[in-house]
Amino acid sequence: MNPITPGTAEFLLAFADDEHLMGQQHTEWIGIAPFLEEDMAFASIAQDELSHAALLYAIVADDGQGGPPDDRAIDKLAFDRTANDYRSAQIVEVACTGWAHALVRHWLYDTAEELRWTLVEDSDLEPLKDAAAHAAREERFHIRHADGLIDVLLRTPDSADRLADAVRDLLPLAMSLFDPVAEEAEAVEAGVASAPFDTMLPEWTDRVRTRFPDIDIGSVSAPELTGRTQRHGDFPALLARMNKVRGIDPTAIWSDATVRQ
Amino acid sequence: MRTYEIFLKRDGQEEYRHAGSIDAPDDELALLLARENYLRRAEGDLLWMVDRAHLLIGDRDFVAPNSDKPHRDNDGLLVAAHRKSQREST
Repeated sequence: MNPITPGTAEFLLAFADDEHLMGQQHTEWIGIAPFLEEDMAFASIAQDELSHAALLYAIVADDGQGGPPDDRAIDKLAFDRTANDYRSAQIVEVACTGWAHALVRHWLYDTAEELRWTLVEDSDLEPLKDAAAHAAREERFHIRHADGLIDVLLRTPDSADRLADAVRDLLPLAMSLFDPVAEEAEAVEAGVASAPFDTMLPEWTDRVRTRFPDIDIGSVSAPELTGRTQRHGDFPALLARMNKVRGIDPTAIWSDATVRQ
Repeated sequence: MRTYEIFLKRDGQEEYRHAGSIDAPDDELALLLARENYLRRAEGDLLWMVDRAHLLIGDRDFVAPNSDKPHRDNDGLLVAAHRKSQREST
């Protein structure tokens, strides 16, 4: 298989970084989610997102050759880049310290993610096609989970108000998910993706409108497009938390899989 | 919140077994939360859930009257012992 082009690598890194940081943000609710069952469920969904990130990083790490995943190479991409080299969207970088915001972000993100995987479900890049099939099986449950919670909370006026505030706060940042990396076109030309991600923005907007009919999405000012080169102000603290334990001993071996290599 | 009881079964001949319980606000979330709390490690292939409010419950008073009827434990040992003693006495 031909090695992937730099533009395709950027396209995949943007996707991987979003999945990675979204997973990280969700895991930070472990122990403090509103009730025990949700505590576990949210962390479990977070693990799914982290596994998607690992699949995507692995593709970049071995240039799309589909070899066995190299944990160290994956970690290098996931944790060892400088802030400027990440290609995450600001919606996954911003700190959501309230549950309404965390839940709304979960819904906004997973709705976009589900659409994003469909762009690569018939990818010519075989490992990516496999990852899309794997992720699609999980994503429908992520959406049902977010929808189920929102359905329940919308029945209570106070909760509905909190959700509406969160949607208004987060919509501009969520739109930054569709901010393409430079050279994304290479991924489409190479048959890695069937279309640029921002072609999904109208469909995503329709779904947001259906889910939150009281929010005037037309009045939301779209974020400035930066090609995902600008990090949110909350990013440095997030990256530091992610590396806190790892930084204690960067040479530590973390899993049996690594020992076997 | 409602409380639901969860039963899991693996493919094959194993019966449904009680796995535990969860609290959830409604049926849809109960299913989704059970999936993430009790089926994260392929603990089963099939899932039954029931709202505890829908269980038919026989309490202790209902069950107790049958707890002192050892003659219904028909394992044949008493009969065997009786026949043996009869044989030996003839």
